[in-house]
Amino acid sequence: MSATETLPGAAAAAPRTIPPVDRESRRLGFRLTLPTQLLVLFIAGFPLLMQLYISLTDWSPLDGVGWWKAWESWNSFANYTDLLEDRRWWGALWRTFIIMLVCVPAEFLLALGLATLFMDDFPGKRIFYSILLMPMMVVPAVAGYMFFMLFQSGGPFNGILSALTGMDIRIAWLSDPTLALVAVMIADIWQWTPLMFLILLAGLVGVPEDQLKAATLLGANWRQRFFTIMLPRIKTIMVIALAIRVIEIFKIFDTLYIMTGGGPGVATETISVYIYKVTTQDLIWGYVAAIALVILIALSVLAVFAMKRMEAAKNGGRA
Amino acid sequence: MTTIRLENLVKRFGDFTALKTMDLEIRDGEFMALLGPSGCGKSTTMNMIAGMEDPSGGRILFDGRDMNGVPMGKRGVGFVFQNYAIFTHMTVRQNLAYGPKMRGMSRSEIDRRVKNIADFLQLTPLLDQKSAKLSVNILQRLAIGRSAIVEPAIFLLDEPLSNVDAAFRAVMRTELKHLQKQFKQTMVYVTHDQLEAMTMADRIAVMDHGVLQQVGTPLEVYNNPANIFVAKFIGAPGMNLIAGELAETDRGLAVDLGSWGVSPPLSDDLAAAARAAGSRAVQYGFRPEEATLGSERKGLRARVTFVERIGARTIVHAESGQAVKVVTENDVGFSIGDVVSIVPTPAAVRLFDAASTAAIRGG
Repeated sequence: MSATETLPGAAAAAPRTIPPVDRESRRLGFRLTLPTQLLVLFIAGFPLLMQLYISLTDWSPLDGVGWWKAWESWNSFANYTDLLEDRRWWGALWRTFIIMLVCVPAEFLLALGLATLFMDDFPGKRIFYSILLMPMMVVPAVAGYMFFMLFQSGGPFNGILSALTGMDIRIAWLSDPTLALVAVMIADIWQWTPLMFLILLAGLVGVPEDQLKAATLLGANWRQRFFTIMLPRIKTIMVIALAIRVIEIFKIFDTLYIMTGGGPGVATETISVYIYKVTTQDLIWGYVAAIALVILIALSVLAVFAMKRMEAAKNGGRA
Repeated sequence: MTTIRLENLVKRFGDFTALKTMDLEIRDGEFMALLGPSGCGKSTTMNMIAGMEDPSGGRILFDGRDMNGVPMGKRGVGFVFQNYAIFTHMTVRQNLAYGPKMRGMSRSEIDRRVKNIADFLQLTPLLDQKSAKLSVNILQRLAIGRSAIVEPAIFLLDEPLSNVDAAFRAVMRTELKHLQKQFKQTMVYVTHDQLEAMTMADRIAVMDHGVLQQVGTPLEVYNNPANIFVAKFIGAPGMNLIAGELAETDRGLAVDLGSWGVSPPLSDDLAAAARAAGSRAVQYGFRPEEATLGSERKGLRARVTFVERIGARTIVHAESGQAVKVVTENDVGFSIGDVVSIVPTPAAVRLFDAASTAAIRGG
């Protein structure tokens, strides 16, 4: 535990006036970093402007003109108004939300439970720790192929269910619209619970032991300590973990695409898969640019919200 | 209000013995300091009293009740941690109310207790502040209040002043002693700072290497250290010790201190005790404050190596094989290299057996 954590009153706020020497060195610092700043601006800013530009046109690579000439098919905001009426888009968005609403809480609760278990010592802890982290290390495409095979109607998943129930179960997981979605969710939970676990465990380990002992001495039982000390103190870390997973679910692609290809039909088509298909099959890139921009803005708003929450938690009570 | 008894208490961590058979009785309402250098077993002892660690052997009794197996939440122990362990994500009020709330007391009872303790500790104006940004002395009061609100039988304090800067420590010491007098609670205070122990404690238990060296009031421990360790550890600077051999002189029993010369004759009590003890090799001890300096040739002869002038007093370092310090109230005219004569006050001379390190005591 650091001294500042222990004795918060000791660190007095420094007055915020900038002496002239400091201003001079700031100016120098700006000049020195200018090339890098321009490079970053180019990398981040240029594609964004290009995307905005194309999203206001009907441009397609089939047009035979370069993208800078896309103004020839200028359509104002037609792409955005089309998006509002695109049922396949709304369907994909809805499915993405369903996956998020199931997977993120499931991953969170599983990870929190596991992280809590790992607070105590038990035999074989290190081995279990390594095993638990393994799914995260698997390349998503490989994980997708694994689950594709596991969920075949004659595959191991049905085999286990058969052995457990004593009946010959041959569920066609990946060709049933509902079950395909379930299978995709199971794969996502399998692969990404470890990340959540790792983040939450780091948070729990950081809870000062003295505080837990103090709570125990004041008569708090395990459950009370968990809800009054541990959870409030890892609030910030919980927000980070949830934000990361929510943003990643929006981008869910590789595993899912290899397992189902978005099918059967459009039963597992998420926004990433939808964009991929529109990009590679329909080739209407102006429309793709519009969709991607909308998602970017939505996720940015989410990220800003998460960061605000973190700031608030930090200023409020060193959560 | 509880008497704590430690009976043959032992604590081992694997092969390492942190505490070797400790017997100690802490009386009802007493402020007992466990004093010793780091690694002496004082914190281990306190953790066992609190129930954070199980003893490897022996018993801990609160008012005669064996505490073995009683979980720490049920012992009725208030614990003030080194860093106070304030719940910084809560307000002052939530911190104070934590104990009663966890014990399922009624809303009105919690409010009443919080109000009383906040009034008592002058925390009332701060009740709704976040506790993360309070100053150290308020944190100390809050830590004590948070423990006191559930009316523990005993209070354990684990070096609560070690994170505080020196200037503020005196203020905190006064405040803490004042609080203890008002609470009239049995308090056990762990510290490595003898000044804290001397100024606050009713009795001090000096420990070293897992062994209890001496228990007594601050003055007993200061005046009559039980062995060489206590003699050196207590006092700033600690007691001067010079190796020597008992020698009969025409004016009575004295100690031959080699290059220092022969000591003035021992007092009758001490001489009798030294004769009874039988051993000839001894350590001759006297407090730096209990000696006078002169240039005539009647005391212990040594060469001045350093003179520390602190203002109110002066510490003269002198050497003749072994180093010795003498504290005088006034400035002295000696400078480095001068030969001085040190005359210990006869009544303040202490002898220790060179082999067993134990004190040889008269009477």
